[in-house]
Amino acid sequence: MNHATPAQRAELSALRRGRFRRRRGTLALLAAGLLVGVLVTLALGQSYTPLSTVARVLVGVDVPGASFTVGELRLPRAVACLLAGACFGLGGVAFQTLLRNPLASPDIIGISSGASAGAVFAIVALAWSGPAVALVAVAAGLGVALLIYLLSWRDGVTGARLILIGIGLAAMLQSVTAYLLMQAPSWSLQEALRWITGSVNGVRLTQALPLSLALALLGGLLLSRRADLDALRLGDELAAGLGVRLGVTRIVVVLASVGLVAFATAVTGPIAFVAFLSGPIAARISGQSGSLLLPAALVGALLVLASDYAGQFLLPARYPVGIVTGVLGAPYLVYLIVRDNQRKGAL
Amino acid sequence: MNASSLQAEALTAGYGERRVLDNASVDIAPGQLTAIVGANACGKSTLLRVLSRLIAPASGRVLLDGSAIDGMAARKLARRIGFLPQSPMAPEGISVLELVSRGRHPHQGLFRRWSAADEAAVADALAATGLLALAERAVDELSGGQRQRVWIAMALAQQTNVLLLDEPTTFLDINHQIEVLDLLTELNHTRGTTVVMVLHELNLAARYADTLIAMAGGRVYAAGTPETVLTEATVREVFGLESRVIEDPVTGKPMMIPLGRHGGVGSATRSS
Repeated sequence: MNHATPAQRAELSALRRGRFRRRRGTLALLAAGLLVGVLVTLALGQSYTPLSTVARVLVGVDVPGASFTVGELRLPRAVACLLAGACFGLGGVAFQTLLRNPLASPDIIGISSGASAGAVFAIVALAWSGPAVALVAVAAGLGVALLIYLLSWRDGVTGARLILIGIGLAAMLQSVTAYLLMQAPSWSLQEALRWITGSVNGVRLTQALPLSLALALLGGLLLSRRADLDALRLGDELAAGLGVRLGVTRIVVVLASVGLVAFATAVTGPIAFVAFLSGPIAARISGQSGSLLLPAALVGALLVLASDYAGQFLLPARYPVGIVTGVLGAPYLVYLIVRDNQRKGAL
Repeated sequence: MNASSLQAEALTAGYGERRVLDNASVDIAPGQLTAIVGANACGKSTLLRVLSRLIAPASGRVLLDGSAIDGMAARKLARRIGFLPQSPMAPEGISVLELVSRGRHPHQGLFRRWSAADEAAVADALAATGLLALAERAVDELSGGQRQRVWIAMALAQQTNVLLLDEPTTFLDINHQIEVLDLLTELNHTRGTTVVMVLHELNLAARYADTLIAMAGGRVYAAGTPETVLTEATVREVFGLESRVIEDPVTGKPMMIPLGRHGGVGSATRSS
């Protein structure tokens, strides 16, 4: 049997190094884009704040006027966008990879809707606030995940059935949210919209702490499974043949992803389609080399940050971020369904 | 590399209520090339899946080099037994190099980085399958035969002593079927890899395999050399088909000629 010559080996190594460099380049570019995005949103709102003033506010100097606009309004908003976007991006791509279907994203199959309904229930019916709301959202998200799994079980779970049941549950849970919101007529339209399409209006910096903890812990847990997720893209049987423990991997990935999505939803509401869009966009720009987790997290953060900025300042009226991402995501959803229909007549 | 033996003792397995394997025992000697044949739904694919531990048997056990595989750690087992399902799907746009590199998964840990040994295994796997020139190409752009070689290259990169393949030649043109079987024979001869494959094509199975296992109704009907297994009686029992078995003039192996209802006489012969 042929062996590779040292020259051929060196050539392959060079190929691999090239891919690795390109991947690092893509990640660096996305990170740079995020940095620029954050600086723009901090400096340029209704009024312009020079970057030097922004920097002084960030290190804690009290600047009259700027401390409020930058420190109280813009900074919490930017931080929430980054963290929630990364959570949605990670949770989305992990689900899509696990089920090998871009439609199997938590925001399509009702997990975000469940978390949102849970959060609204905690706020309206239980009059809770703070971390307790996040925990109810997580519990509701997990409950929905379990429900989808049980409802779609019939000698095993197939992706198409799971997705259809998830879409049905999502619609049901959205009406639950709407019903709960109608029980609380004192709420502003803005506040209600948060729980329907997602918004970062009026978000506070104190809400960022639990979210960043969730991102660090659950995101880290997902990243530690990235090789297994990579192998799962080849199909369950091949992955198992390569030494992936399917059961454990599925449980860890589902728990971590649902947790990420639910924690983010408890702060910003279910920002439409971010989980759904981030993975495919990341795959498009970073190619197939290596894990999609990090690129998808960065894409998610960038998507939310840019959409929120557009919703505030670039469009004729002010829209919550979820409306902007919804407009971006809906055509892609239609495209996917049409394409898959043409390809194999099923999801 | 040392050859490994694989034994299945009284395996019973199924899906839900349906029993597919019924007290099946096989004994695969180290370094053998074995083909499992039988009619559809006779349990041959299930047997392969139990041998690779993709399915846990309801009763019975599988021994790899004499020790039971059911308690073995997943990665450890995956360094010793490789499994290739029937017509696997490649992720969209993945390159040949990337896909073949996935074969190194069981050799890597959470903190173990890509090593020189990994690189050498992948390079050798690509060289052995003649894919070095295609390393950068996307798998979904390749022909069916090339794609099957990519999957086999991935299994080679895994560097296992045992390789199990479920119908590695399905959907391939006859030239590519021969190419794949030649490749597996070479792997078996030069590395001593124990190869077990499910094959549809009886004559190719008899030609390439050291050992044939014929299955029927979830049981092993016959096992042994192609000469002892591929007989007119076996074909009748296993496939319910009347046939003539003659000696292949090229290889001297048994060759089955189906008779069918018309006694093998086609309309062209009859009318002349």
